Amino acid sequence: MFEFSIFILLPLVTAGFCYFIKDLRPQYGASIIVALLHLGLSLLVFLGIHHAQLPTFFSVDSSSKLFLPILSNVYFWVVLVSYSYLRRPITPKAEEGKKYYFALVNFYLAANSAAMLSSHFGMYWVASEATTLSVAPLIYFYRSEESLEAMWKYLFLVSVGIAFAFIGILLLTLSAKGTVLEGQQLFFRDFIRNATKLNPIWLKASFIFIFVGLSTKIGIAPMHSGDIDATSNAPSPIAALMSGSLRLTAFLGVMRIFQIIHPTSSYEFARTLIIIGAILSLFVAFVFMFKVNNYKRMLAYSSVEHLGLISLGLGVGGLAFVGAMYHAVYNSIAKVVLFMMAGNIHGHYKSREVEKVRSALNILPKTGWLFLIAYLAISGIPPFGIFFSEIKIFEGILFSDRPYLLGLVMFFMLFIFINMGKIIFTMLYQKSELEPQTINEEKFELNHLVVIILLVMVTIIAVSSPEILYRNIMNIAKDYGMSL
Amino acid sequence: MENVLSILFCLSLFYVSVTSRVKAYVTVLRVQGIILSVLLMIPFIYKFSIFGIILPATLLLVKVYLIPRYINKVILDLDIKRRIEPTIQQMVFLPIVIATMVIIFLASSILSKSTELDVIPFASGFSAIVIGIYIIMSRKKLIVHVCGFLIMENGIFLFGTAVASELPMMIELGTLLDIFVVVFLMGIALNKISSTFEGFEVTHLGRLKD
Repeated sequence: MFEFSIFILLPLVTAGFCYFIKDLRPQYGASIIVALLHLGLSLLVFLGIHHAQLPTFFSVDSSSKLFLPILSNVYFWVVLVSYSYLRRPITPKAEEGKKYYFALVNFYLAANSAAMLSSHFGMYWVASEATTLSVAPLIYFYRSEESLEAMWKYLFLVSVGIAFAFIGILLLTLSAKGTVLEGQQLFFRDFIRNATKLNPIWLKASFIFIFVGLSTKIGIAPMHSGDIDATSNAPSPIAALMSGSLRLTAFLGVMRIFQIIHPTSSYEFARTLIIIGAILSLFVAFVFMFKVNNYKRMLAYSSVEHLGLISLGLGVGGLAFVGAMYHAVYNSIAKVVLFMMAGNIHGHYKSREVEKVRSALNILPKTGWLFLIAYLAISGIPPFGIFFSEIKIFEGILFSDRPYLLGLVMFFMLFIFINMGKIIFTMLYQKSELEPQTINEEKFELNHLVVIILLVMVTIIAVSSPEILYRNIMNIAKDYGMSL
Repeated sequence: MENVLSILFCLSLFYVSVTSRVKAYVTVLRVQGIILSVLLMIPFIYKFSIFGIILPATLLLVKVYLIPRYINKVILDLDIKRRIEPTIQQMVFLPIVIATMVIIFLASSILSKSTELDVIPFASGFSAIVIGIYIIMSRKKLIVHVCGFLIMENGIFLFGTAVASELPMMIELGTLLDIFVVVFLMGIALNKISSTFEGFEVTHLGRLKD
């Protein structure tokens, strides 16, 4: 019960507290304490020091053991910088949104933890729908026309998508007709244990619905549009939260159904679907990187690319799967860094258009350099973690039964790298023709420190390659029956 | 009894595909809510239990009272015009709906040979899901999109009873709460949209593009 209260109840209570207390300072204090407790406990669970006892419908398994610390890590740093972010001047219309910020963020933590820890398909569904509900009002933070449209589209598309996932869950019940699972509860572990007995036709149908439905939330093409709009118009901390943790929560749902399908005859079918979705995502990112003129949209497409890569790892299996799990860890950290720095640039230039941002390296030297380093980190330049995880994924693809995919993936990623670089270098180096250069010293803020810590973290984890992380990822691979 | 209710449910779908008034959509949502609650209450005719009545009662409260009332309030507040403004004329829409339903019913009766399922509730539920999506695709007004989404949700509910999935009550209540909050947020968003864009049609939403 203790773990349950830290992971889910406490954030919920804090959300209530933040809703009624109108002053931002106590809201921030309470949220930080909750984030810290959450991070501490999830790390203890991850390290295997503490064994969590959770009530019915919740449990800790190998995948939630890895994904929960990812969530609490992203969440902690985002909350840490949120206060300084909220103190920035914004339009008077947006002022009223501030007082709900921490309440919603805490509610998001509760819902997301519940989704990650759920051991029952119904519970997972309820919790992941709740994450949508908590994030949607936050997208509308700036109270602008664009953010309103983005919120509407995200809320609507994801709700319809999640409804599809629910149909998939019902079809899963149908696939259990005539087996020992008939009339039983929809616990993951029971379905995994008796997977081979399930009716293959309904199982396939169930997989299609769950995969397509959750794709709206993961941002897998062709269902990515709502997600792109939302991440590019949400305030930067929220965009970081969405890219770093919310997409992974939805991905976990796909992983669960994939785990059930793994030992059955429908495995090949599910694999092909995931691979098609993943390659399409990379393709979409590849195409839109040529014409994107909004740097936050660019980062959103980068998220589509990386989630596509993670899905590809899941689909290909074997070593690529291990690489994908590492990639999930590194990508979540790198995305927080990128979005925080993009938020600083937006704060100064008051525009998300690439055209409006010129010689950022002179005007905002600290942000500019960190943004550049973060770009190198996300593009898989050593010594940052993404380099190592991408190498693992590539190696996995090369030695799988579909080595030709590697050619496609590398081609797409090369052009994504070049085009992203072109945009970022224009923003950083190109001189503005209109106004004279004013070089002023940028103040060193908390978010710069956080970004440096995170960049060091992503390097240290990759270079030292902790035994415990390796063991946890191997446990997941073993649970999924991946042959290495 | 289930079959009779499912057929009534299908009739409501036909009505919704020919009507051109926004209010009629809300009425249909109410009727569907009543049908679903009655469907859930059938087992209690034989065996009454206080505990089991919570779910049908909540369903009745949320789907028949709260959500339609809220949508009506939004319609009144925003002074939304009565006509739905379709992009496909009703006389074309109805045959499409009928054709879809015929295909779904035929397909489910074929499927029922290999798996044991109640064909009529199963097919009615699935039809409602598809028609909900049709409505979302072929209407301009955003409030009608919300209604289409709710028709889809009702379809999923009927579909769930057909495949005899017994989710625990806590989770069923959770789903109902989620749906209610979704509609609530959509209503707030609609309010904002009508004041920001001076309209509530999907054609107003075209700012975000690449």
